[in-house]
Amino acid sequence: MEGIEIAMLGVALAVGLAGSGSAIGIGIVGQSACGLISEDPDKFGQTLLLQALPGTQGIYGLLAGFLIMQDIGIVGEELVELTVWQGYAFLMAALPIAIAGFSSGIYQGRVLASSINLIAKRPEEMGKGIVYAVMVETYAVFALLATILMLFGIDL
Amino acid sequence: MPIIDMKKVYLLGHRQEREKIFNLLHGMGTVELVDVKSGEGWKEFQELLKPEQPPEDISKVDSKRSDIRFCLDFFQRHFPVRKSMIEQFTGSRLDLTGEQFNNYIKTLEQVEEIHRACREAEENLVRIRNEETQSQNLIEDLKPWVSLDLPLEEVEEGSWTMMDLFIVPIEQYSALQENLIETVSEHCLDEVFSDGENVYFFFSALAEKKQVIDELFRGKAVTRASFPDVSGTPSDILDSLNEKLEELRQERSAVLNEVEKLLVHRPMLMACYDYMDNEHAKHQAVASLAGTDNSFLLEGWAPVPVMDDLETTVSEKTETAILTSRDPEPDEDVPVLLHNKGPADPYEVVTRLYSTPKKHELDPTPFMAPFFFLFFGICLSDAGYGIMLGLLAFYLYRKLTLGQSGRQLLKLLMLGGISAFAFGILLGGYFGDLIELPPLLFDPLEEPMTMLIAALGIGLFQVYFGMGLQAYRNMKGGKPMDALYDQGFWFLFLNGLILLVVGIIPPIGLWMTIAGAAGLVLTQGRSQHSVILKFFSGLLSLYNVTQYLSDVLSYSRLFALGLASVVIGMVVNSVGELAAGSIIGYVVLVIILIGGHFFNMIISTLSSYVHTSRLQYLEFFNKFFEGGGRSFQPFRVKNNYVDIVESEES
Repeated sequence: MEGIEIAMLGVALAVGLAGSGSAIGIGIVGQSACGLISEDPDKFGQTLLLQALPGTQGIYGLLAGFLIMQDIGIVGEELVELTVWQGYAFLMAALPIAIAGFSSGIYQGRVLASSINLIAKRPEEMGKGIVYAVMVETYAVFALLATILMLFGIDL
Repeated sequence: MPIIDMKKVYLLGHRQEREKIFNLLHGMGTVELVDVKSGEGWKEFQELLKPEQPPEDISKVDSKRSDIRFCLDFFQRHFPVRKSMIEQFTGSRLDLTGEQFNNYIKTLEQVEEIHRACREAEENLVRIRNEETQSQNLIEDLKPWVSLDLPLEEVEEGSWTMMDLFIVPIEQYSALQENLIETVSEHCLDEVFSDGENVYFFFSALAEKKQVIDELFRGKAVTRASFPDVSGTPSDILDSLNEKLEELRQERSAVLNEVEKLLVHRPMLMACYDYMDNEHAKHQAVASLAGTDNSFLLEGWAPVPVMDDLETTVSEKTETAILTSRDPEPDEDVPVLLHNKGPADPYEVVTRLYSTPKKHELDPTPFMAPFFFLFFGICLSDAGYGIMLGLLAFYLYRKLTLGQSGRQLLKLLMLGGISAFAFGILLGGYFGDLIELPPLLFDPLEEPMTMLIAALGIGLFQVYFGMGLQAYRNMKGGKPMDALYDQGFWFLFLNGLILLVVGIIPPIGLWMTIAGAAGLVLTQGRSQHSVILKFFSGLLSLYNVTQYLSDVLSYSRLFALGLASVVIGMVVNSVGELAAGSIIGYVVLVIILIGGHFFNMIISTLSSYVHTSRLQYLEFFNKFFEGGGRSFQPFRVKNNYVDIVESEES
């Protein structure tokens, strides 16, 4: 493999894995939300907000992927010639957000599914349900940070 | 004075004026009632006073309230009022002027009639529904027999022959036929219908063979289809059933039409519900009083600023009531009311989400507000999104009538928009990179390390600030040494470590570190009894340095989120660019730009809000703020359905 292909694998992992985490998380919340809506359709707005939260991991993954694509010239003017080692560097840089995005998306979804139960009984406590979910997201943010710092550190 | 001081108030009045005084207090909504019997003085009063019971007619009020509730729920079931997306968050209320409200209350006796009509309609609807299900079930059962040209009442057992309708699973059918031919030679089996699962057939034979046949049928899982209450051929019955269904449908729409005519009363019912609900609350509050035959005693909390108003109102509007007040005792459970002036006010909503402060505690709101303002801006850090968010929040603020929290939240978002606008200009974000203006400060994409260090620096400052507040609390609480031990030594130690790591003037850093660490080892175990335990808990406390480290590192999210909102904006722009070229392409480009940036603004605002809140709660508040106070809940008018607004003329 050439360097560029290895870097592309990084893009694929960052976008694909973090996106899968978000998809699973959003799916879990959506299932719970449907249960609540069958009882109380007026909570649609609130549940939609909760359901949107695990979407951020996917966005972080896309962001990391985009940064790599910009660096290696897939988006933009022309492809950059990469050595195999530079390609590996991009792949490694993509891993933190790929891995942490995947798991934190799923677990954030689980916390939010419970938050749906919370707002079924006490709609005024929605804020606290969100705060619990954000605790999980913290690690996706740190992973994104690690990814970004690693990317900025790669010499081309 | 962010936390309002409270006074304990006692009100003694004549029994005849009780209702008047209650209405007065309820209307003012500034006193929180306390059960007299729970107070300290109750033991002494017990001989003189007896506890009051809620008035007898409370059950009448309650049943009237539930009658109205029934009507409103009934209307909502059949003619629902849908809430819009925004109303789902804010709640939708009916705006009434005071005059309209009073007019509605005057027609309260109408409720009985409307309730009767609703009940009747409900009963009718239930009956119609039941009859419909019955008919539909019968139709389902009869459908397979439609080609049977025999009146069903004639299918019956005679003394010589038996005949009936049967259903058999299709896989048993051929075996059944063979068995019948073997065992019962004289019979008539007429297949009426087959649907791939079951075969429906008419069967008759001599009555004397009945036992044999029954046994055979049982073995083949044959079931009897019986239609006891109908007569005529199946197709005739089906026709009449369909007619009946049509009639029922018409009857239902007639009932619903009648209900629809009642809908004009919906606003009246809403007003009456709120009226009765408040009446109920007033009746119930009587239980917290105590009294003699001719007088009653009321106990409660009132904020100091309203005391004058309360005193003059009570003395002017009543003849017998006497109001006295005193300052709270040190160990009393005083409710807490927050009141922040000016720009700090909207940030109360953030504090309340965490916890209400205790009575003597510092209200963290004014200290947290500037940090929240800054951090929100750094996380969003886009001038375009800042303008959009500010205008959107302003528009909603003007358009919606909201409770205190809703208004504060929108104000907070307006301020957040301003902050994001400022940081957008400083760091060069205008809808991602849609408008390419050079940043005033620096571009975080070009100089990520500068941005990261700036974020951690601001974080370190907030952590120190929180420690400073705790030191201030300790000194104010008469424990200046605790301030030195718990905050002073840490401050020394942490700064020494930073100097050491950064490598500026290492000898000073080294000595500061050593002095700080020594101080901590010597003092942090001071609650232990033996010298050895004191030493080891002191030594162990140094491990807390990891806590400070992770607190400060947590602020790196400011950098990550700020970058995320700008870079996603850039992604939107480059996706749009792909479409540009032809005329259709430019249309697509515009759609992508508008949709994408709006989406990004909403998502980024959400994460800016929650992550900024989190930094306050976990990294800042835990340095100095305990919370767990009880919030002030005055005895006041509470409405579920209507809002009383000023009439438009005045």
